[in-house]
Amino acid sequence: MTDANESKLIERVARGDERAFLELYDRHASRVYGLTLRILGDPMLAEEVTQDTFLKLWSRARQYLAERGPFLPWLLTIARRVALDRLRLESRRPLLSDVNDPENVWHTVPDPGSTAEESRWRTLYFAVLSLHPDQRKVIELAYYQGMSQSEIAEVLNMPLGTVKTRLRAAMEKLREIWKEG
Amino acid sequence: MTRDEHAPFLENIPAYAIGALDADETAALASHLEGCASCRTELAEYRALGESLLTALPPRQPPAALRKRLQSRLLGAQKTKRLTFNWSFSQLATGIALVVLLAMSFYSITQMRSLQLEQARLNRQIRTGQTVMSMLSYPATERLAINSESVVGSLLLDRERNIVALIVWNMPQLDETKTYQIWLINPQDERVSAGIFRPEDDRVYTTYIVFPEQSVTDFVGVGVTIEPAGGSDQPTGERVFKVDF
Repeated sequence: MTDANESKLIERVARGDERAFLELYDRHASRVYGLTLRILGDPMLAEEVTQDTFLKLWSRARQYLAERGPFLPWLLTIARRVALDRLRLESRRPLLSDVNDPENVWHTVPDPGSTAEESRWRTLYFAVLSLHPDQRKVIELAYYQGMSQSEIAEVLNMPLGTVKTRLRAAMEKLREIWKEG
Repeated sequence: MTRDEHAPFLENIPAYAIGALDADETAALASHLEGCASCRTELAEYRALGESLLTALPPRQPPAALRKRLQSRLLGAQKTKRLTFNWSFSQLATGIALVVLLAMSFYSITQMRSLQLEQARLNRQIRTGQTVMSMLSYPATERLAINSESVVGSLLLDRERNIVALIVWNMPQLDETKTYQIWLINPQDERVSAGIFRPEDDRVYTTYIVFPEQSVTDFVGVGVTIEPAGGSDQPTGERVFKVDF
């Protein structure tokens, strides 16, 4: 949940308070940058998209409604959309070797359990890591590259039915772990 | 719908939740979801999972320069934001209500002021009428005729109570730059101003009461001239009429 202090920060940002904005930036910039870097695979582009995401926050903070859900996923949803749009604009995809090697992507895991929130994302992080590499690959391409199942089948040169089966199996497994967590 | 017919839609929900379903299947599933509560529940769970996947990536610290760059971008955006009226509906409604209230208040004040002016004008007319009536009924009042080329009327002179009343018919209206001015004339043929007046819009006659500062017996007559608005120290304009006591 979005804590009361954060809700106040967002309200202040909506009123044009620059200090509140920078405080939110300090809290969440690493999450936004982590996501955009994962999607774009290019530090320069990720930096630009992170900047665009926070500028959108600056101009649209009023649109955030706390009763509809926590702030961070809302912000990351914006970041994902901006990053995927940028990916399409650039007409490029990160090299498959990047996608296939999770250690290249997930190598900066902080020390465990410093906050409840970190504990939550850590559960999913390990859940994704626990997937079979073939399943993880389709999740990566679908979710972090914005590809449809047909596009994934084409990229991986495999039957569409296989992609569907792997993606469904991966999502079901993640849901089980997520619900248990 | 049978279980077999339902199954293909159910299978597609995970991909749909993360936006990976192809366009043709997306349209079919969206249509199915409209009438299937259990599939909507299933979708809600996968969507929540998808949202959580956003937070499942480890954080990465962006370059410090990005914060500074954003700060400088904000300065530009701040100026624009200050110039932009970004009002919510309730603020807008309150603003409109205030404007309407202010307009109504201004209209009410204007109306009240207009009524007050009209009331003062009527009171003045009543007082003037009463004074004229009392002078006419007083035995010592002298009645002198006003008879010039342009106007006719009467001058009532009450030497005991030191009052002069003018009742003049058909006085032409003057434009805003001019006024009628009354002069008391002494034996040395000097003029002393006794007031300025304008004809009433709604009457064919004009009544004006003069209460001289000196005794009216010091004077030998009354004259009226047309003067610039506000009056003059001495007569400068056209004479309208003159009455000798």
